[in-house]
Amino acid sequence: MRECIIETQDLVHTYPTGVTALKGVNLKIYKNDKISIVGQNGSGKTTIVRHFNGLLKPTSGRVLLFGEDTTKQKIGQMARKVGYVFQNPNHQIFCTTVRDELEAAPKNFGFSEEETKKAVDEVVELMNIQSVLNTHPLTLDYTTKKIVSIASVLAYKPDVLILDEPTGGLDEPGRVMLTKIIDMMIENGHTIIMISHDMDYVAENSDRIIVMCQGEVVDDGSPEKIFLNAEVLRKAQIEPPQITQLDLYLENGYPKEAILSVSDFIKKYINFLGGQREWE
Amino acid sequence: MKKPIIEVKNYSFAYENTDKKVLDSVSFTINEGDFVGIIGRNKAGKSTLCESLVGLLPFTMGGSWDGEIVIDGKSLNETKGAGVTDIIGIVFQDAESQFTQETVEDEIAFAMCNFGYSRELMRERILYASEACGLRNMLDRSPFKLSGGQQQRLAIACILALQPKVIILDESTSQLDPIGRDEVFGLITKLHAAGSTVIMVDHNIEKIAEYVNKVLVLHDGKVIEFDDAGKVFQKKDKLNAHDVRVPQVTDAALQLKDKLGFKEAPITLEQAKSVFAGYKKEGK
Repeated sequence: MRECIIETQDLVHTYPTGVTALKGVNLKIYKNDKISIVGQNGSGKTTIVRHFNGLLKPTSGRVLLFGEDTTKQKIGQMARKVGYVFQNPNHQIFCTTVRDELEAAPKNFGFSEEETKKAVDEVVELMNIQSVLNTHPLTLDYTTKKIVSIASVLAYKPDVLILDEPTGGLDEPGRVMLTKIIDMMIENGHTIIMISHDMDYVAENSDRIIVMCQGEVVDDGSPEKIFLNAEVLRKAQIEPPQITQLDLYLENGYPKEAILSVSDFIKKYINFLGGQREWE
Repeated sequence: MKKPIIEVKNYSFAYENTDKKVLDSVSFTINEGDFVGIIGRNKAGKSTLCESLVGLLPFTMGGSWDGEIVIDGKSLNETKGAGVTDIIGIVFQDAESQFTQETVEDEIAFAMCNFGYSRELMRERILYASEACGLRNMLDRSPFKLSGGQQQRLAIACILALQPKVIILDESTSQLDPIGRDEVFGLITKLHAAGSTVIMVDHNIEKIAEYVNKVLVLHDGKVIEFDDAGKVFQKKDKLNAHDVRVPQVTDAALQLKDKLGFKEAPITLEQAKSVFAGYKKEGK
């Protein structure tokens, strides 16, 4: 049985404006999970993940991080365990050079100079950002800023990595790099929680999808199952990947498992299509 | 015969204090009423190209260039980049960063104020632009308190108020949720149907394939392809070699080409449904 590292118990969160963004959520997240949280804007995705590292406190209910109530832990300790990459890199970046930005978190967490250098060198190499190390991060283009913001959290290797809309503005090579990073983290035993609207990416890069709608979890399961639940998808306004939709159509809406990628689709249909008919 | 509205003639550009040509001998023509998608990996030169088309580069923001860009018959070299703001307008990726005013109404009026439009004309255009972008009942709201989709629509409204013939959207949907994204695509489709020329830079290949009629592929500052969307997306290997993918259904159809037998692979879900469905019946 895998270790449960984050648990929410009847979690309710009401903002000072009076909006109740979470209406009693019970959720367990296990070590090494590769999770995507999906749902439309305002469904509570960001609100819930901000409870995982204590950025927000429950209005009622509890959140346990590694078994301990988040209201009884220090923000700094929780941040060390749960790294959070913001959707908008402008909201996260605060140093005057990329190098400082990357060194900031490890230094704050008490890494020695040597450890900091090693950690930074590693992410720089991994994310191929040598050329911008002395640049002011806010002068970079959006995509590079985004990559720097991911790198700055990755540098201290938190147990849990939360990525809020990581693919926004990334091109194909950027997506490939992100996938490489996620896979590496998972292989090394970390836990990934991604918030995303990018269903193509979610379908191919999650083991578990949590669907949120109006402050509640409305579905939770493997991508192969989630993308078949037409009613929930409609309610949560989620559009499955194009290739998933094509398969759904060809199966008259009832395949056993949802197709998640073009290569899955090819495997399924290569021996299935007739190919005898003349083109009309 | 369609009338050319943008003519790019052997245009090259390098940023200030650099030698690297971010755009390298680029030539193409966009006609009035075209809906063009510009795709390519980051740093391919997409934004540089968009900023050059509106005269921001090199004339306002600097840099060295060669060749010529002609907008609706006006050579930007001759006008020094000026005189086209009412012909061609641009909406950036990060709409929020361009807002300066306290209300939606003032924001839409801002450019017109600067151009010295009369009060009556401004009033009329504010109503037109806010109506077109679905912001009519939000005129007194703060631009900073709108949702992402609303902010992008406001950025478009600001441009629309000037009634340009060409609208450029530079990754305007990449930060939006599916609802916000569909709002923007829906609005742009309406504007295109009403006769506007639209240029859209976007990484969402499936959406590009669904909406545009022409695709321009940039790589390392060079035009790799410029043709009808249906033709460009057939060239999967060439596009992949330049870090651009084709729509998922196109990819699948091309891989199953021997089984399917079509003249042109589908590029939208609807096209794919009809191509695949006919064959599946035979196969079963």
